[in-house]
Amino acid sequence: MSNEPMTTKADDAIITVRNLSKYFDDFEALRDITLDVKRSEVLCLIGPSGSGKSTLLRCLNFLEQYDGGEVHLDGELIGWKDISHNPRKPLSSEALRKQRQHIGMVFQHFHLWPHMSALDNVAEALMSVRKLTKKEAREKAMTALTKVHLEDKAQNYPANLSGGQQQRVAIARAIAMEPRVMLFDEPTSALDPELVGEVLSVMKDLAAEGMTMVVVTHEMGFAAHVADRVAFLDSGRLVTCVPPQEMFGREPDDARVRSFLQTYRERNVV
Amino acid sequence: METELFVRYGPALLYGFGITILCWLVGSIGGVIVGFLLACLNRWGPRFIGWVIYAYVEVIRGTPFMIQLFILYYGGPYIGLLLTPVQAGIISFIIYGSPYFAEIFRSGFNAIPKGQIEAARCVGLPESRILWRIILPQMLVPITAPLTNFFIILTKETAILSVVTVPELLFQTQTMAAETFTFVEPFLVLSLFYWLMVVVTGWIGARVEQRVTRHLKRA
Amino acid sequence: MNFSFDTIWHNLPYLLAAARWTVIISVCGMAISLVWGTVLCATRLSANPFWRSAATLYISFFRGVPLLVQLLLFYYALPYVGLDLPAVEAAILATGMCSAAYTAEILRGALQSIPRGQTEAAYALGIPSFSLWRRILVPQAIRIGMPSLVNELILLVKVSSLASVVGISELTRIAQNITGETYRPLEIYITAAVIYFAINWILSISGRLIEKKLQIG
Repeated sequence: MSNEPMTTKADDAIITVRNLSKYFDDFEALRDITLDVKRSEVLCLIGPSGSGKSTLLRCLNFLEQYDGGEVHLDGELIGWKDISHNPRKPLSSEALRKQRQHIGMVFQHFHLWPHMSALDNVAEALMSVRKLTKKEAREKAMTALTKVHLEDKAQNYPANLSGGQQQRVAIARAIAMEPRVMLFDEPTSALDPELVGEVLSVMKDLAAEGMTMVVVTHEMGFAAHVADRVAFLDSGRLVTCVPPQEMFGREPDDARVRSFLQTYRERNVV
Repeated sequence: METELFVRYGPALLYGFGITILCWLVGSIGGVIVGFLLACLNRWGPRFIGWVIYAYVEVIRGTPFMIQLFILYYGGPYIGLLLTPVQAGIISFIIYGSPYFAEIFRSGFNAIPKGQIEAARCVGLPESRILWRIILPQMLVPITAPLTNFFIILTKETAILSVVTVPELLFQTQTMAAETFTFVEPFLVLSLFYWLMVVVTGWIGARVEQRVTRHLKRA
Repeated sequence: MNFSFDTIWHNLPYLLAAARWTVIISVCGMAISLVWGTVLCATRLSANPFWRSAATLYISFFRGVPLLVQLLLFYYALPYVGLDLPAVEAAILATGMCSAAYTAEILRGALQSIPRGQTEAAYALGIPSFSLWRRILVPQAIRIGMPSLVNELILLVKVSSLASVVGISELTRIAQNITGETYRPLEIYITAAVIYFAINWILSISGRLIEKKLQIG
């Protein structure tokens, strides 16, 4: 690894999306999306609600079965076993499970398991997927919780944690598995405004460590200051994907981007 | 109240109470197990099994327990199924209870937020582990109250077993009433026994509910 | 064994005639249940602590003791207190009085699920108490409680089979009698089950139609 020149590593795409399309019955949710995510890059997906950004994110780990095109992670086709035939054949749940271990996901509504303590939420997959002993799993889970500054809340049940704390536990649950990429689906949208900061700061730390991240967000400040590139989606189409300076720094060329960002400008967010 | 009457018939009444509890416990626990399997088959089995289970649930819920009991106990011998009254009582209890339990479990499955299962899949948990570690423990919260409720309903259905001469509580009471020409006292005592079962079951249910919702309490 | 459709065909008219009594017992029982249940519900919610606990006691007794035992009590014990009711009337009364305990709880649940704000809004507008109940609370309670009330009626159709034990010639009893003559329990009881199922199926379909109608209105 150390022999590889830094330049190729930085340019190396970890996720490649080619001509992706997705339908919900007759509704075309995503159309012909082509996109690369580079290693250690932070890519933010923005756009109006219903534009398909969450759907795109959920296709990356096959929570949504995409209908056309391909998604690759490190060269491995995600979700489908065989796309040469129609209809396509999905992977066995066992094989899908293997792929998903490398893709961490954080949800808008946290989805912690309420009957387990914070520590056990993080340790569960380490035991049953990584096959660590209970003791090893808990130590490792503790390390992950420390990373999100919640080592003192390890024994709490989710009901006794604030929204921001719950979301940080959810992040710890994902990073404990040492994924190659992390997907964030509007991680701060369900939080009270005063709790947004602590979650974003943990995400910033992750980005600084070189984690590859794809983030669906309405936090334009985060997109502007942390993202390497920002993709704008509208009506299931990828309108543009550029560095944040280009997205936020000057008047956008595209009318849709302009009117979307205008609503934020009016509220002095960017 | 004639005390010596109850001294004489006390053992028979207690024996009947024992038979009632036996039929009730074995029958309803059997019903829970069968109902759980039905709910699982309905959720994870092939589509046509779902239809078969739906029909079974509707038919059993749409007909009186007494008729089901008669079909099994009186009709059974004609298809080579010779059962003692107690056996017939327990089996018909399992048949009668299982669709109600299946429905309770089905609603329990549906009560788990989809996102929690997605979260489990995202970290790669196997489906069996998701069932045992994520779905089942949480399902206990919404299903404990309806389960308790149905156990209580079943305590009362045991009385119907007397009709096919299961020597349970009501049967013994009727024998006593017929032999002594007293009606009010034995039936009051009988009511007391059922009331006791209902109260104890309700109490146990409340304790279980407390136990399974512990993690939801805010400190 | 051979399943004899002949036996079924032959005895179907008798079974259907008996099913009439099943319907009469359950419908009359439900009528008593609705009236008595409303009274119980009002008593249960009354401000007077004596009446309130009396209603609570009634409800817990009738819900805590098997209906079959209640039927036998009515049948055997009423003559003791000088009330000699014919069997059918006794069965209807017992069924209705037991069911009223459940109906009262259904209505109470429905009433309590109506947001308190509506009552407050009505008082703020100066709507009198009687109009509040008649025009606002009761219509909503019926709509909310309708599925449970239809369920209760279906339950009554099923428990009316218990009346066979005190010798009333309803469906189950007649099925028993025919079985005694023909020695064909499987055919006869399955036919009876089908009739019960058909009655309940019709009830649940009409229940759903009524619910739909109430929802639009």
